Amino acid sequence: MNEQRKDILDMLAEGKITAEEAEQLIAALERDQSPVASGLTARPRGKAKYLRVVVEALENGEMGRVNIRVPLQLLRAGVQLAALIPPQALGKANAELNKSGVPFDLTQLKPEQLEAFVEHLDEMLVEIDQTDAKVRIFCE
Amino acid sequence: MPQLVTVRVKRPDRRPIRIWVPVLPAALVFAPIVILAVLGVVVACVVFHVDVVRALGTGWRIISALPGTRFDIEQDRTAVLVIIR
Repeated sequence: MNEQRKDILDMLAEGKITAEEAEQLIAALERDQSPVASGLTARPRGKAKYLRVVVEALENGEMGRVNIRVPLQLLRAGVQLAALIPPQALGKANAELNKSGVPFDLTQLKPEQLEAFVEHLDEMLVEIDQTDAKVRIFCE
Repeated sequence: MPQLVTVRVKRPDRRPIRIWVPVLPAALVFAPIVILAVLGVVVACVVFHVDVVRALGTGWRIISALPGTRFDIEQDRTAVLVIIR
């Protein structure tokens, strides 16, 4: 049982709301939750093939939309390209990152780690929901 | 390898532009430029001590992985769509 449903039942038990009001609140809660739940289970279980980035934003009264689909195979190939970067270039990149306040050592980043990261991307779901913008990053 | 690149541009008060680029014929037409680019990559690899075969292999893998890529951007009645098949 989720927290909101428990709160409603508690309010009913304490006599703060009537049974009819509790039923209406629970129905409203289910309506709110169903799109999220269906969104999470909509994708058939299996190997994801694409990384999707969907952005919908309201700017100056106009609706803007970005819909990007990138094959995960392309990310894997990109990871292999990163392994070709010469050490002196990595050293320079590290120095610039340090200068910008990001103490990150790129030489410690192994291609196997990046490949493992890409492999597990299909389990990722990022959802940002604001009044004027909505961002979804997921694999399908 | 990509077969077809579709580009569609919609602008307010103008006719939408749709371009279909067949990749293989386009690559054949631009073959001299492609060969020069590959030579440039080989020289850069030699200068920076990078394995030439591995670099070209990775480049080819990236090109082969492009089909299925789609960019669709819409803002203020202006829209750009790029699909690589």
